[in-house]
Amino acid sequence: MEEREQQVIDQIKDKVQEIDDVVIKEMVTDVGDATIIYFSSLIEKMTLQSMVFIPLANHVNQIFQVSEALELDDVDLILQKLDAGQTLLFFHKTAQLRVIDTYSAPTRSITNTETESTVIGPQDAFTESLETNISLVKRRIQNPMLKNETRTVGTETNIKISILYIDNIVNKENLDTLRERINQIQFPFFTDISELKQLIEDNPLSPFPQHYMSVRPDSVSQYLIDGRIVIFMDNSQAAIVCPTSFFEMFVSVEDYYNRWTTASLLRMLRFFGFFLTIMITPMYISALTFHPEVLPYELLLNLQESRSKVPFPPLIEVLFIELIIEVLREAGSRMPAKVGQTIGIVGGIVIGTAAVEAGLLSNILIVLVATSALLSFLPPIFLLSNTSRFIRYIFILSAGLFGLYGLMLAFAWLFAHLLRLNSLGTPYMSPVVPRNASDLFDSIIRFPTKYLKTKKGISRAQKK
Amino acid sequence: MSTGKSKKKLLNAYHVVFLAQSVMIGTGILSLPQQLSSLGYSQALMPLIFGVIASVTLYPMIWINSKFPNDNLFRINEILLGKWLGKCINLFFVIQFLVFIAGIISNYMHLIQSTALQEQTITGPVFCFLLLLIYIVSGGIKSIARFCIMTFFLTIGFLYFTHWAFEKGDMSHFLPLFNFFSVNDFYEALKRGYLSVLGYELVMFYFPYIVDQKKAFRHSLIGIWISILLCFITTAISVMYYSEWQLEYVEFSVLNLFKAGEFSFIERIDIFGITLWVFLILSTVAAYLWCAKKGVETLVSKKSNVYLYILVAIIFFVVKMPSSREFQDKLFTSANYVGYMLILWPVLLMMVYVLRKKKQVQV
Repeated sequence: MEEREQQVIDQIKDKVQEIDDVVIKEMVTDVGDATIIYFSSLIEKMTLQSMVFIPLANHVNQIFQVSEALELDDVDLILQKLDAGQTLLFFHKTAQLRVIDTYSAPTRSITNTETESTVIGPQDAFTESLETNISLVKRRIQNPMLKNETRTVGTETNIKISILYIDNIVNKENLDTLRERINQIQFPFFTDISELKQLIEDNPLSPFPQHYMSVRPDSVSQYLIDGRIVIFMDNSQAAIVCPTSFFEMFVSVEDYYNRWTTASLLRMLRFFGFFLTIMITPMYISALTFHPEVLPYELLLNLQESRSKVPFPPLIEVLFIELIIEVLREAGSRMPAKVGQTIGIVGGIVIGTAAVEAGLLSNILIVLVATSALLSFLPPIFLLSNTSRFIRYIFILSAGLFGLYGLMLAFAWLFAHLLRLNSLGTPYMSPVVPRNASDLFDSIIRFPTKYLKTKKGISRAQKK
Repeated sequence: MSTGKSKKKLLNAYHVVFLAQSVMIGTGILSLPQQLSSLGYSQALMPLIFGVIASVTLYPMIWINSKFPNDNLFRINEILLGKWLGKCINLFFVIQFLVFIAGIISNYMHLIQSTALQEQTITGPVFCFLLLLIYIVSGGIKSIARFCIMTFFLTIGFLYFTHWAFEKGDMSHFLPLFNFFSVNDFYEALKRGYLSVLGYELVMFYFPYIVDQKKAFRHSLIGIWISILLCFITTAISVMYYSEWQLEYVEFSVLNLFKAGEFSFIERIDIFGITLWVFLILSTVAAYLWCAKKGVETLVSKKSNVYLYILVAIIFFVVKMPSSREFQDKLFTSANYVGYMLILWPVLLMMVYVLRKKKQVQV
């Protein structure tokens, strides 16, 4: 045995001293003595048996074929391999170090998605395993041009991410920008891909999600074909799609499975629903506080009658009930499912009838708030639905300050902000500001499927 | 995180069309029928004449810019007129822009105060307006151009609300076509009315950013004529709907056009109209402010967003200055007339350019 090898083994032993699941074994093989080091928690016993111990005892040559040689100089690298679930084999006679990839972490099986469920279409969803997710996409796009680049992020945890794109379609400039952004990240650890997303977005301060996130392989594959770039991360279920436009946040992959008429109707509902949900209650405030004259006499009478017992000004009334709805929603999503139902009933009854009867709120406002709460769940992307929750308060406050003028000012801010946003350098508001005329075929109205062949302007795909 | 590269050429064809279009439509169009009232019913065709004048005056602007494809008017002034004279003129332009912007904002805010926010002073609304303005302008000319496109599509729906006035109006008001007596009336209408189509001259400042500079003339022209068409519809419907007396004395007659119709669930559509108008005001003012900022940057030869804040502070002061409404009106009106000078300015520059060229050839 060479002195250097012994040194390395001692160093490793020193480093893994307090790690109790480390296994260090000495074995006698056909090519002399060997030391085996691995972490038992990362490797299944079966894998170990079939890949390491049986070959070692019987056909050592097999080991040399499936394993990889490693230099002895870089102890950190060796330890990193050990951390990644690989097995180290030191052959003392020849002073060689070989590593075998035996990583076999427990994964869950592919199940239905609960966050983006659809009635029609494939039901499988990504899992938390990077390999499974990539295989789910590769199964759909059987094209040698589909590339996946693997790198690690997280300066302290070394999490694997994979960048997927189709080489002859993707825009190279976008790809370079993305690579550059990922290289610049200095962040100690990631527990979910949404953290990575916030770091690589064009404007991290904006309330709007600038990249699409999905757990559906069909939706992700569709974007890949369109020339977008997809990022997966080990241990997180969702995938990032970039660049994406504001409008695509309202697109569900089910739209393409539905008839074009139904799909168009639903898209319109979602798109205008987003603007309605942030405008309904502010309208109520501004009409009652500043401009009662915009309401016809009968409607005004009706409103005033329902508000006759309410002691608060409209702004406080609206803020009060909006906050209660937020509380209900938050409580409902944190409770265990069985208790959650009770919350729903209690909330419904208490707010629906008791608050009105107690003269705290007007019934018309209850109708408006309930509608806007429902509308806020229309976008298929949950992040956008959360955005609408936040934005609504800006609108409510500005309507409380300056009435309709404040509302329009907030509206102008919303558009100015959306128009300033970019997703990976391309305008977020396309195709409202279209790059290609053909983008309009797949916007608020989804044209019949045969018109949807062209790539979207936002992906700036390579021309064939 | 942004690692994109900054490019000099930013504006594509759509941007150029709608920059010209949206900047032209501001508060002017709201009172256009009144400004043209010296012509009586014959004013209907006046916007078309404005259109012709605008097209003719656009030509020298594009011509002088195409000689200096990478410089805006401020730089061209310095190049052609010498450093000191150029800087003086530029300072003058910047001041004119500021007063002009303040005029538009003050006009609009008083309108808001008299219709939508009757119980408030204008300080708060003006302050919030200016904050939003800073936000839009700091995004650069491209963000303004995008905002202009959005504005057009959001506000074009208001044409629908004029259809009641169209139905109730009387076609016979159009005839006879040129029913005015003196050149003076015509001149008066031109002087007061042309203000509503100002705004296309800003092409001289954003010209260096246009991608397809050869077609800039055509694209700007399309924008101008969209606006002219809107002005024409406004005056035509006003002529049909109002009497001559009303044309002369109803100040914001366009808002009253909206009132002609009734819905069962909403009244006073004019309040919606005037508040949504903030988009048009913002797009106009943002473009002017961007130009003023460019002017200051040329004056001190340094780029910084600080100038933007200083300019906005000055505008706030001008709008809120403790002086009588009469003095303010006088100031804003004179700024408008100076604006006409800017339209004719490139003709002068053209002559200077030709003279200098000749001199160079002789030497």
